[in-house]
Amino acid sequence: MNAPKTDESARPLLALDGISKSFGGVRASHDVSFAVERKSITGLIGPNGAGKTTLFNIITGVYSKDCGSIFFDGQDLGKSPVHKRVSMGIARTFQNVELFSGMSVLENVLVGRHVRTKCGFFGAVARLPRHREEERLAQKYCMEMLDFVGMAHVAKKPAGDLPFGWQRLVEIARALASQPRLLLLDEPAAGLNAMETKQLGELLGQIRQRGVTLLLVEHDMSLTMEVCDYIAVLDQGRKIAFGTPRQIQADKAVIAAYLGQEEF
Amino acid sequence: MPEFYQYLFSGLTNGAIYAIIALGFSMLFAATDLINFAHGEFVMIGALILVTLWPVMGLPLPLAFVITVLATGILGIVFERLAIRTVKKPDPIVLVIITVGAGIFLRGVAMIIWGKTAKGAPPFSKMPPLEIGGAYLLAQSVWILGIVLATVLVMHFFYSRTLTGKAMSACAINKRAASLLGIATQRMTLLAFAVSAALGGMAGVIIAPITMNEYEMGAILGLKGFCAAMLGGLGNSWGAVVGGFALGIAEAMAVGYVSSSMKDAVAFLLLLLILYVRPTGILGGKAIARF
Amino acid sequence: MKPILRNILVYGAFIGVVAAYGLLEKSTYYLQLATFVGLNTLLAVGLNMLMGYAGQISLGHAAFYGLGAYVSGMLTVHLGWSPWATLPCALFAAGAVAYVVGLPTLRLTGYYLAMGTLGFGMIVNILFREFRRFTGGPSGLPGLPELTIGSINLSHGANALFLVWGCVIVAFFICERIVDSRMGRALRAIHYSERAAAAVGVNTASAKLAIFVFAAVIAALAGFLYAHMITFISPSTFNFLASVKLVAMVVIGGMASIWGSLLGASLLTLLPDFLHVFAEYEMIIYGLILMLVMIFFPEGLFKNLVKLYERAKNR
Ligand SMILES: Nc1ncnc2c1ncn2[C@@H]1O[C@H](COP(=O)(O)OP(=O)(O)OP(=O)(O)O)[C@@H](O)[C@H]1O
Ligand SMILES: [Mg+2]
Repeated sequence: MNAPKTDESARPLLALDGISKSFGGVRASHDVSFAVERKSITGLIGPNGAGKTTLFNIITGVYSKDCGSIFFDGQDLGKSPVHKRVSMGIARTFQNVELFSGMSVLENVLVGRHVRTKCGFFGAVARLPRHREEERLAQKYCMEMLDFVGMAHVAKKPAGDLPFGWQRLVEIARALASQPRLLLLDEPAAGLNAMETKQLGELLGQIRQRGVTLLLVEHDMSLTMEVCDYIAVLDQGRKIAFGTPRQIQADKAVIAAYLGQEEF
Repeated sequence: MPEFYQYLFSGLTNGAIYAIIALGFSMLFAATDLINFAHGEFVMIGALILVTLWPVMGLPLPLAFVITVLATGILGIVFERLAIRTVKKPDPIVLVIITVGAGIFLRGVAMIIWGKTAKGAPPFSKMPPLEIGGAYLLAQSVWILGIVLATVLVMHFFYSRTLTGKAMSACAINKRAASLLGIATQRMTLLAFAVSAALGGMAGVIIAPITMNEYEMGAILGLKGFCAAMLGGLGNSWGAVVGGFALGIAEAMAVGYVSSSMKDAVAFLLLLLILYVRPTGILGGKAIARF
Repeated sequence: MKPILRNILVYGAFIGVVAAYGLLEKSTYYLQLATFVGLNTLLAVGLNMLMGYAGQISLGHAAFYGLGAYVSGMLTVHLGWSPWATLPCALFAAGAVAYVVGLPTLRLTGYYLAMGTLGFGMIVNILFREFRRFTGGPSGLPGLPELTIGSINLSHGANALFLVWGCVIVAFFICERIVDSRMGRALRAIHYSERAAAAVGVNTASAKLAIFVFAAVIAALAGFLYAHMITFISPSTFNFLASVKLVAMVVIGGMASIWGSLLGASLLTLLPDFLHVFAEYEMIIYGLILMLVMIFFPEGLFKNLVKLYERAKNR
């Protein structure tokens, strides 16, 4: 699946080609292929255990895939390690919020800025003007990100002390601090109330306006249907449908997979 | 060829001891996800208690044997109750430090009780060594191999046939699910500590006649047992047994054909090698961290 | 308070106390004891960077302490080098060994890392004992030269104290700056969750390796200073129990607390000296300390003292 090289902007930002992964006997992903268009919001839905988080872990390099290829902006990611992929422009959040709980909110976001800064151990000790400048700019950028998600007022608080919904927002700010081109969000609305979910929907739109492509795992169907341009549906590790929200809602296989699930 | 058999016999003997120490590590890890850095000290305590009860105080051997194993088992229970269950934040780093502390503590206590001089014990029976292929197999080696094999069979029976054993394996697979099914996971943890410590004590009993028994003997035995458990894949009981024999034989061959100063180095080098190459052990599966 | 002002105050006071003690104390015994507190503080602060901040346990840290001492000792005794010329060799050797050992070892986590470093420490100790021709074997290597500059002897009395504590102060300064920097944040992130740190872009392997090498080099520096102060080294100074004592100092002072290392090292160096029962009961006491602190004050004494102070102030 070599994308045509002629038209840069028409090439999808992310292309999955025949991804498979099993754990012992469990097939968490089975021959999954789909593409994520530039500047789109693409949803990834499916019943519990369908393999959505597994797919995120494969895209970010946390798990190695058994077979298949991942192309990011036309480039085969191969076996490149997790942190490399972050610096290439893939950032994520986690289904179970993974903040560094004892560190302050700002420090958490600064760790997200890690790949866009350079200061090593020597710089840490020497603190030459260029190191101070880099740190100052990093702090400024991270404060902007916190402001963007509306969490600037708690910048100095330990991240673990925040209410759950706020932690999710801080995680988004941390992911944005690495200036990603592709942002993977794993159930960002889980545990949020209706009001917060609505604000999240708006925030997702704003993130897209910054030029970031979004891949969104979400169980809240009204949110997914509202914000997504395209939706991929997984069931038991297989992709069973791909299309616009309207097409997905009418898809027989999807309805069958979700039969009995109250969200639908 | 006789010398090969001689090395093999000595390897099998030590291997049996490593196997049973490894079994202690492995079953505790399987049930509690914890590695007890004080495990070697239970071996040491077992050996010293036996030396006190049998040659010194003159109790009959079978009685001394049973008392020693029970005593170390109870020590394991006390240890779990006082030092493990009380931990508020059971991170690996915290548990490592606590069990290392417990090991040093037990070593210190043993030094006070039994002093610094090493003590010996006579072999279990006064039979002459068997001659096989020009090499000699000590009667004590036969005892050791027999007792270890019997213990392994009993353990196997316990896991596969008894309800408690099955409950324990269930805990090992998934603690939360097990407790939802009504298995008292805390009691299982306690039991695992008791059995693991008793296995350590038993290793001490059978090794007492063929080694110099002193307060510092536990560290190296513990490390070697751990090495054997790693060889076989932590948490895998059969693996622990196979790993124990493999380590014992490898060590004996290295001592015989290379140099006797290699003895301890073999285990450590092997341990480092396994840790680097395949931390899940030779027989173990592949573990994946999950989010 | 502004950070710069705070630094000037804290380090000024620190230097002042050390200088005053060195100038006023006349007893060579107490001067040497204070010097030992400094050596242990140096060791503890290095280990704390690894254990407390990056969350990587090492049960073989005394091996690097020993490497620093033995490399310098063997070069001076057998080859007649000047101690100063051996210093870079000792530091480099320890750093290089840490690099080679750490490369695969630090892929391990939790228990495996603990066992790996424990095994490494034991192997190094066996080498110290077995390579008799070079190391003097179990009975040790005597006759190391003392440190001198011109006619000033730096291995005795107040001079030794100033040298060692000078190193401590510089190490504190360096460590504080590292902790409060991009790499320091990355290390602390690794401590909370290595997988999450990697997933947000930290190259965890190289960060852990770097701090491991750093801790090893600091330990080797302490070993170098020790070797030429005592002028005699033997394997038992660098055995497993020594590694455990270092862990105890870090733990008691508080993991991830640079100033806690000072408290931990001071307590565990001075207490045995005041309580003579220690000799016999040394292991029992260390064992109890490790268990009790971890059960009741997993954050260490220093942070608890600070909390008490703040509570008293707020009242
Ligand atoms: N590290 C792992 N080891 C073993 N099995 C795993 C691992 N990670 C995922 N699985 C299994 O793979 C399957 C897919 O899990 P995954 O977490 O990807 O589902 P999901 O679609 O994210 O579900 P949910 O909506 O509940 O988050 C499940 O059966 C799960 O048990
Ligand atoms: Mg999921």
